[in-house]
Amino acid sequence: MAQDEVKLKAENIGLYFGQLRALDGVDIEVRGTEILAVIGPNGAGKSCLLNCINGFYRPQQGDIYFDGKRITRLAPHKIAELGISRTFQNIELYTGLTVLDNLMAARHIHMKQGALAGAIYFGPAYREEIEHRKVVEDIIDFLEMEPIRKKVVGLLPYGMRKRVELGRALALEPKLLLLDEPMAGMNIDEKEDMARFIIDTIELRRIPIVLIEHDMEVVMDIADRVVVLDFGHKIAEGSPDEIKGNPAVIKAYLGE
Amino acid sequence: MDVPVFDSAAKYLKYNYVKWGDKKVAMRVKDRGIWQSYTWEDYYEKVKYFSLGLMSLGLERGDKVAILGENKPEWFWAELAAGTAGAVVTGIFVDCLPTEVKYYVENSESKFVIAHDQEQVDKFLIPYKDREGKEHPPLKDELPLLKKVIFWDPKGILGFEGTPIGDYADPILMSFDQVIELGKEYEKTRPGLFEENIEKTSGDDIALFMYTSGTTGLPKAAMLRNRVSQLTNRAWNSVDKWSPDDQYVSFLPPAWITEQGLGVGANLLTGMEINFPEEPETVLENIREIGPGVLFWGPANWESVSRLIQAKIIDTSPLRRLLYHVFLPVGYKVGDLRVAGKKVNWFWQALYSIANLTVFRALKDKVGLSKVRVAYSAGSAISPDIFRYFQALGVKLKQLYGSTEMGLVTIHPDDDVRPETCGPLMPGYECRLSEDGEILVRSEMLFAGYYKKPEATREKYLGDWYLSGDFGHIEEHGHLVCIDRMDHLKELRGGRKFSPQFAEIRLRFSPYIKGALIVGSEDKDFVTAIINVDIDNVGRWAEAKRIPYTTFTDLSQKPEVIGLVTGEIRKVNRHLPEWTRIKRFVNLHKEFDADDAELTRTRKLRRDFIEERYGYLIDALYGDKDELKVEAPITYRDGRTGTMMTSVKINAVE
Repeated sequence: MAQDEVKLKAENIGLYFGQLRALDGVDIEVRGTEILAVIGPNGAGKSCLLNCINGFYRPQQGDIYFDGKRITRLAPHKIAELGISRTFQNIELYTGLTVLDNLMAARHIHMKQGALAGAIYFGPAYREEIEHRKVVEDIIDFLEMEPIRKKVVGLLPYGMRKRVELGRALALEPKLLLLDEPMAGMNIDEKEDMARFIIDTIELRRIPIVLIEHDMEVVMDIADRVVVLDFGHKIAEGSPDEIKGNPAVIKAYLGE
Repeated sequence: MDVPVFDSAAKYLKYNYVKWGDKKVAMRVKDRGIWQSYTWEDYYEKVKYFSLGLMSLGLERGDKVAILGENKPEWFWAELAAGTAGAVVTGIFVDCLPTEVKYYVENSESKFVIAHDQEQVDKFLIPYKDREGKEHPPLKDELPLLKKVIFWDPKGILGFEGTPIGDYADPILMSFDQVIELGKEYEKTRPGLFEENIEKTSGDDIALFMYTSGTTGLPKAAMLRNRVSQLTNRAWNSVDKWSPDDQYVSFLPPAWITEQGLGVGANLLTGMEINFPEEPETVLENIREIGPGVLFWGPANWESVSRLIQAKIIDTSPLRRLLYHVFLPVGYKVGDLRVAGKKVNWFWQALYSIANLTVFRALKDKVGLSKVRVAYSAGSAISPDIFRYFQALGVKLKQLYGSTEMGLVTIHPDDDVRPETCGPLMPGYECRLSEDGEILVRSEMLFAGYYKKPEATREKYLGDWYLSGDFGHIEEHGHLVCIDRMDHLKELRGGRKFSPQFAEIRLRFSPYIKGALIVGSEDKDFVTAIINVDIDNVGRWAEAKRIPYTTFTDLSQKPEVIGLVTGEIRKVNRHLPEWTRIKRFVNLHKEFDADDAELTRTRKLRRDFIEERYGYLIDALYGDKDELKVEAPITYRDGRTGTMMTSVKINAVE
């Protein structure tokens, strides 16, 4: 895979809620093996952008291409099947299921046996489950979740749930990962762990990542490139060092 | 037992390989949620090729190899591999900081380090700060003797398709599997070398460096000969009869002598199967899955498991709770008879079987104790209540006494277990007491001295008697009682020694006493105590006795409560020599509190600080008044400070 191959391209995206321009002509590109951070003040349109990419919102203007294929009007589950998976700002897991079951549930897009075969649970369905379990166990190992494998998600601490959500996103075996504030509300240790897992995801699994994050220290540490949004406009784009010194960015964050 | 006597671990490995081959599991490790097995053939081959691989990298007889990792099969393989090549193995604890790792590797002159994972490997590759905050280059540049750092878990080190990530392309790094491949190549030109090496291992060779912290100075490497380890294991096995069907869960650090005996040693000697937990956090869960036959926990673990059981009992259905309370006394009765070596008549046996079937069996299963045949506790005193409790459930808990330098000195035989002792001497050991009451030991099975520290070794001997540094005595029935470290002892006027900790620990065994500070020094004639009563238990007791109280201070000074504590102190006094008995005490008007800096965050007493802070109380304890007005500074959780006026009673114990 070429280093700079464009994985995802969003062109001139416009998203309006009535008179409110949540996104106004935003262009972004995500390349093969990079972590692209999207930052900006509250209400800048960061989550809207992710929601457009994975199909929750349909932008009124512009187009999104994934692996060269236009995905602008596809339904979210179709986009997931194409290989874009995500985590949410407010964790969205099955809180009554165990960690293991949450991850196994994410494998459904790869399951080929029907409900009937699964109910009889014999032969192919049985073998298939073992295959999926292997993938899931690799993720449990990857994210060091062995101690909580059989714990019910609703009983886990917040930081752990965030980790489980990342695991669930990885269980889809995505080609692109969208992370919406994966470190919000975490303590320093948890943030460090999460940062390491995100870097490992790129290095060990070669999955490009779009990351929304408010903790600038983390962003500047782990992102390869940064895109800055403000009131639905892209106001800057570049390496973390370029962004740090950019007057428009400083203005957006600190005011005049 | 018909296993022949060998003088090295490698020879046992070969014997077991020939005897069991791929027919019997030697070890298991939980990985990806599944218990993966390794047979004796697997064990032998891993050791063989890793050993040859190390030799191809330049390992020679007498070299040192350090292992830095959690309990995993690779730890054991690496140990045997290095040992067979004639090298000395030393273990490093995984939580050591780079500065400490440097000390161990440098002091032992290790040529190779076998490291667990990225976390451990990073200690060698990343510049670090020492305790004074001084910047150092990475360890690999500070250790000229170090040839390779070999890691066994490639996660985070080897990336996509097995290529090293970023800085991990460093030539000093090599993976465990790579070394095994090198070994396979090496064997092609040198067939039979490994087998020759096994024969070359001798009982006189130093097998292990075990670092002992000691109380002063830097850790010293106690050298252990092959023969000593093997003799110790055999002697231990003659008491406890481990069997090839026993399961064992390896979670004590292998850098610690106990795991060398129970883990590495027992497995090689008897074929007892070793199971490695998935992660340090999953140990309890994994113990329950395996149901070990042999188990070693420190007193704190036993206590926490007993608390866990009691919490489960409170949550269970009323019927089960009733059964538990009906049958527990049966357990106590039978347990007490058993440890005393007395016969249990058919009536109690029958009752006990019912108790076991209805209650104990299920209870033990919940905490992974269902199949425990032999259970050990050591390290510090265990509460007699905890001890009796597990005996009642049918867990044959026993204590032992030993150290890295001495080996295993005493252990309880199954039919003579006493909670207050460490058991009778092992065969091959002689023991006597010095004039100060220090335990002296003589045996073939002692260590071979400290590495490169002959003076330190000499200091530990009086003639051919080894100075244990422990204060204790031998009871008339031949059991050894170890009271405290000699350095922890204090003296009364006239030079008579006593152990504050011994009395403090035993006072804390009382449900009514949460903490205690024992006072006494060269200018005092007798011993006194500052007691911190347990508000929950004493409060409940007071309610049951219909004694009204308002605050902690009020409760602690009630005459009835003082009477209750006096009774508890009398019980402890009975186990103390005449001159160290507690004569006067005070119930402290507040709790020892970490927020007031009286305890460390791990709830250990900060003795000097408390003695200084409550100097006026101590003066009163040795004065003639029986009541004292106190003004106590207190710190609230939010950091504010305030004072409290109250009066406390000074009480005498006859």
